[in-house]
Amino acid sequence: MKRLVIISLVLCLSLSFFVMYSPEAHAEKTITFLHRWPNEPFKGFFDYAVEEFKKEHPDVEFKVLRVLNEDYKQKINVLLASENPPDIFFTWVGEYGNKFIREGIALDLSKYYEEDSDWANNIIPSTVKPFTYKDKEYGVPILMDVRMMAYNKDIFNELNLETPDTWDQLIDVSKKLKNNGYIPLGCGNKAPWNGALYVTTLNQRVLGLDTVKEDYNRYTGDFEETGYVEALERLETLIPYMNKYPNAVSREEERSMFVNGQIAMMALHTIEFPYVKDMQYEWGTFNFPEIEEGKGDPSVITGAPEGFMISKETEHPEIAMEFLKFMTTPEMGKKWVEMTNVISTTKGAVNENNSTPLMVEVIKEVEKAQDMSIWLDTATDAKIFQPYLAGIQQVLNKEKTPQQVMEEVRKAADELRKEVE
Amino acid sequence: MNNQKKLPYLFILPGFIIVTTFIYYPVVKNLYWSFYKWSPLSQGREFVKFSNYVQLFNDEIFIIAIKNNFVHAVISLTIQVFGALVLAAILEDKIFRKISGFLRSMYFIPTLISITVTGLLFSFIYNPQIGLLNEILGLIGLGQFATGWLGNSDTAFPSVIAMGQWIGTGYITMLFVVAIQKIPQDLYDAAIVDGCNKIQKFLYITVPQVKEMTFVAVIFTLSRSMLVFADVFVLTGGGPGYSSQVLSTYLYNSAFINNEMGYASTIAMIIFIITILFYLLQAKIFSE
Repeated sequence: MKRLVIISLVLCLSLSFFVMYSPEAHAEKTITFLHRWPNEPFKGFFDYAVEEFKKEHPDVEFKVLRVLNEDYKQKINVLLASENPPDIFFTWVGEYGNKFIREGIALDLSKYYEEDSDWANNIIPSTVKPFTYKDKEYGVPILMDVRMMAYNKDIFNELNLETPDTWDQLIDVSKKLKNNGYIPLGCGNKAPWNGALYVTTLNQRVLGLDTVKEDYNRYTGDFEETGYVEALERLETLIPYMNKYPNAVSREEERSMFVNGQIAMMALHTIEFPYVKDMQYEWGTFNFPEIEEGKGDPSVITGAPEGFMISKETEHPEIAMEFLKFMTTPEMGKKWVEMTNVISTTKGAVNENNSTPLMVEVIKEVEKAQDMSIWLDTATDAKIFQPYLAGIQQVLNKEKTPQQVMEEVRKAADELRKEVE
Repeated sequence: MNNQKKLPYLFILPGFIIVTTFIYYPVVKNLYWSFYKWSPLSQGREFVKFSNYVQLFNDEIFIIAIKNNFVHAVISLTIQVFGALVLAAILEDKIFRKISGFLRSMYFIPTLISITVTGLLFSFIYNPQIGLLNEILGLIGLGQFATGWLGNSDTAFPSVIAMGQWIGTGYITMLFVVAIQKIPQDLYDAAIVDGCNKIQKFLYITVPQVKEMTFVAVIFTLSRSMLVFADVFVLTGGGPGYSSQVLSTYLYNSAFINNEMGYASTIAMIIFIITILFYLLQAKIFSE
């Protein structure tokens, strides 16, 4: 009996060993692929892509690592610093991705972009731009996330309101909504990025994209312009129209209040559209209003692509690149939109057949846009965005003035510049 | 004979190896890294002597964090250790004999629930719109105190501490219940003969008799307060502003968001030193 137990134990162990290592045993090439979607529908798309790709390349095996946002942020640093970094890894753009390029972790892909112009021309150019560093491409964008103002059409119709085109109209509309017992604007800023993204848009509208980009850059940013204070002051102006205690409300709660018709307008990301699709009210979107006194182009969208980079250490750069190209072909782009309802970076992937008119509207804006205002919290260095985001929470709580917050951001920017020089 | 002398060492060897590899070695290594400035992504590691430590004591977030840890410790000691002792004494009283079993399980259950779940639960309780807490305040006529508990700098951290008490008190109560059950009944009988009332019995018999357990409870509570992480991380993430940062969340931020591993090591060293100091202090007080 005892012997039987031992034998079966040994068998089990050796079997599990075999199972664990079987892929490597007969595949010639293994690609480690790290993305941030263990959740559906995105996980399904990447699994599908891997399977389809393997049909064409039977000699390639994949090791897929899926880690959700916060875990991803932590894991990526450890993995990339290890001796076996993932061949393909997910990244956001802005300073977040730039640091991988600067530290020599990301592979220069410009060669592939030049070689295969058919494929490259199929990707919306404004989404590749944020992956470009010193005129070289370092990544392949897969999806595009745009922050639009969503509004409850039923409420607007009931009160005979028009969507606002200018700042003054926005205030005016908000006043009317408030007088009629609705919460005009949603702001769930418990995780502090949401407020920061309001400021991302406001900064661009007030100061213009060029100034903003210069200040978000860790080498040149000084945040000296008074426009940054003005942008925060405008955020302050909006507080009376927001839901109470914005810092105590989470993004999910904000979204549910919008879906329930308590909030009339909220800044909604295209990536969140699937979450509000069951809303019983009719809803639409508009681009954040123009600030007439501001220098910024009102047609510039607030948004950012997300995508993948290839590790410089990879043994199979060609295959890794082949896979990234495969995921961004027009067919796969359409598949992406069908499966996830999120904007693809491939031209023509979002169309009348597979998307709501709303999405088609948004993608037009994206294709038209020369450039975009990238999220404050990925565009800047952690040394800048930490005090900035904390400060925005305190402005919303009326615990600090915009001047005090920008004073701190300026101090942080000065220190950072000195440090990186 | 020789073999018998060696044998005990052989027995402690596995433990020794595990403790050395997983505790002492990382501590020493951590001390070493705290003198460097480095990011996990770059190869270069710059030796900066004590500048991380100097920076730390000029860092206002660090000051907020350490203050919060101490506030957490003081409140936890009062509620979890003293409160739990009183609670345990009450549970062990004759009057409560019949329902004490039920109550003990009730108090103990929070300890068993995963902290993420508890965090979610308390997020609902503190929610400004639909939260239980604001509703209750409204019902008992204290509606003017209703607020966004996790959204204000002055209420966020106290709300986090409150959740910690809810989780921890039951566990310490159980420890004390066990300790009280071990006290010989003769002592209480003698006290009754001498005409002691219940409070006197508690103060002059129960408290001195559970001294060892109090020592354990104090160490446990203090180290928990110094290492508190998940409570803050789940409920507030350190916000709003920096108002609810504690040492471990600040360590996490420095290491994984700011990519300043050297600085994070320095914070870890400070946590280590504080905990050791506490231990030594308590060991001294309780041995007297």
